[in-house]
Amino acid sequence: MRLQGEARGWLLASPYIVSAILFFLFPLGWSLSLILFDWNLISPVRTYVGLGNFREAFTSARVFQAFFNTYKFMAIIVPAVLVLSLVLALIVHHLPRLKQFYAVGFFLPYLASGVAVSLVVRGILSYDSAFNELLRSLFGTSPRWLRDPFWATLVISAMIVWKLSGYYALIFLAGLQGIPRELYEAAALDGAGSFTQFRKITLPLLYPAFYTVLVLAIGLCFGIFTEPYVLTGGGPRFATHTWQLEIYYQAFERFRAGYGATVAVLNALATFVSILIIRRVVEAWGARRGFR
Amino acid sequence: MRKILGLVVLVGLVGLAQVEITFWSAPNPSQEVFWRRMAEAYMTEHPEVKIQVRPIPETPTSEAGILAAIAGGVAPTASENVFIGFGDELVRSKVLVAWNTFPGWQELVKARHMEETLKAWLFSDGNYYIIPMYVNAMLVAWRIDILRELGYDQPPRTYSEVLALGERLKAVYPDKFLWLRSELEVPTWWQRWFDFFVFYYAASGGRPLITGNTLTADDKAAIEVLRFFKTLRDKKLLITETLATGFEAGKTLMTVLGPWTFPWWRENYPELVYGETFVLSPPPVPDWYPAAEAIRTFADAKGVVMYAQAKPEQQQAMWDFVRWVLSDPEHDLVWVQVTGMLPARDDVATNPLFMSYVEAKEPALLAYAAQIPYAVPPFAHHQYVEIQELMGLECIYPVLVGELTPEKGWAAWKAAVEATLK
Repeated sequence: MRLQGEARGWLLASPYIVSAILFFLFPLGWSLSLILFDWNLISPVRTYVGLGNFREAFTSARVFQAFFNTYKFMAIIVPAVLVLSLVLALIVHHLPRLKQFYAVGFFLPYLASGVAVSLVVRGILSYDSAFNELLRSLFGTSPRWLRDPFWATLVISAMIVWKLSGYYALIFLAGLQGIPRELYEAAALDGAGSFTQFRKITLPLLYPAFYTVLVLAIGLCFGIFTEPYVLTGGGPRFATHTWQLEIYYQAFERFRAGYGATVAVLNALATFVSILIIRRVVEAWGARRGFR
Repeated sequence: MRKILGLVVLVGLVGLAQVEITFWSAPNPSQEVFWRRMAEAYMTEHPEVKIQVRPIPETPTSEAGILAAIAGGVAPTASENVFIGFGDELVRSKVLVAWNTFPGWQELVKARHMEETLKAWLFSDGNYYIIPMYVNAMLVAWRIDILRELGYDQPPRTYSEVLALGERLKAVYPDKFLWLRSELEVPTWWQRWFDFFVFYYAASGGRPLITGNTLTADDKAAIEVLRFFKTLRDKKLLITETLATGFEAGKTLMTVLGPWTFPWWRENYPELVYGETFVLSPPPVPDWYPAAEAIRTFADAKGVVMYAQAKPEQQQAMWDFVRWVLSDPEHDLVWVQVTGMLPARDDVATNPLFMSYVEAKEPALLAYAAQIPYAVPPFAHHQYVEIQELMGLECIYPVLVGELTPEKGWAAWKAAVEATLK
């Protein structure tokens, strides 16, 4: 018997549908069922608080700091990751050989464990590391990398940029390989130099890749957890506190599942709205310039 | 054929009659080894009981692992690694069984010599929900080899003596520090157990921060501790950044130490020998602390709880097992041998069974045994996480970086906690 038409489609899609129900829809429904209660998941008493969890979250300095820090990280990470991944893609694209080898090499940081990388970074930035010894011998001092709000933010941003650039470079590389060579040849015949070709041909035609990377990078800024968890605990003074750290703290350390779920819902809303606004802005910008 | 059938039926009947119970040990290999060994020994004597020993799943912490198991209806019959603050949360949620409701409780208390130790584990409803397994008094380790180079033959006792030692250290070794405590600037709640509480209990004579739902802290002692931390940092004697290695490499002179470190040192730093390269002392105290008075310290203390989800016959079987383990001092000796920690018994410092082993094999534990009567366990309040995290956020960090004076930092913490307790 051969499955035909719709049945075959449903069968092929079923692994995704089942996993989405189990690991996305069910937890989402469960979270939504918690947001109106003050409950630690085990107590026989589940106190109904109505919108009390939302009121608390909207007036919480911790939640505000997580909200603010996300945009602070975004302001550093998104431009840096866009530029670096594009540069990496251009380098790999113009390599005469071993393109795949280098592309995979740049992708490896994305696969590395966040905890392991954080521990390595902590070692590199420890007070008695060779790097800091060098800085002290040159400048007489070394920054308090993980204990100063400015440097801690920068270190965590740099780690995320390093981790993601190789992965996003693959998206740009795919875009670069899709640009017809004839366009560059025609432009060269018309007297366009390398920079003009890059500005007038490469960048506009990379718009879809740029758009994809932008949306992915913005979404990621709302999910930062491992690096600040291991390196700073969200400090100093909440400088590296994030949505995910707040959810973890409320749900798994203070055992406030209802409030943790509320913060998670707010995080989802903030992510959705932010991506929506930035998409609209970028789409309008692209449309004005005729990018598709 | 009949014999085989009979055997099969017999095995089936034993299986049916067997009570199966689960014990979750601390997620620490040595404690898991201890409980596995106990379970195996017990099952050979009691084939009617099957005990499964597993480490608590740390998802992501042992507390969260226990909570998730209870919420999912798959809690073990009993587990260890519960401290009194988390125990308070579990008791409020009515998920624990009181040990003192089982017949034979008083006999166990007497057999294990726990009368005094247990006083700190009594809950407000008059029940005992946690049987303490160990009480690790936190002590300060000093690099006595470097101290001797600097002209000292014993560690300093008071803050002024510590600062004088620091000046001498910086004069001879400008690159060394007195104390490495990178976590002091991190708000993680449980880190306060190993810095602030150690010094606070020493300065205050063990006065509780919170009694019931009321702040009862010793303000003078707390402010003095904060000022001490700040002075150490200002004089570059305290380093709050990370070091690849500190005390072990002789880059720092003192560290707050629990006995669980010794097995690790034996393996990785065999050159650290008690009495030769390091000694132990109670935490330093303010200059005004009476010279004749014993110095108290924080105790990292955890114990065993039983969960109400278990069936009555499982609870009874678990009680019988736990009572069997804890009634025999030989088992507590195995605990010392396997885990390197001292059992929570009143007679641990006087019982020759433990002392002869400790003197011969791990003399550093003698100092811990002597300190147990002066060791104060964590306070029991269900908001312990918030209270201790506020200490890092509102008080210690702002004081260290100079945003607040010690007095104002302490006042800020008190105000924040009072708002939380309302």
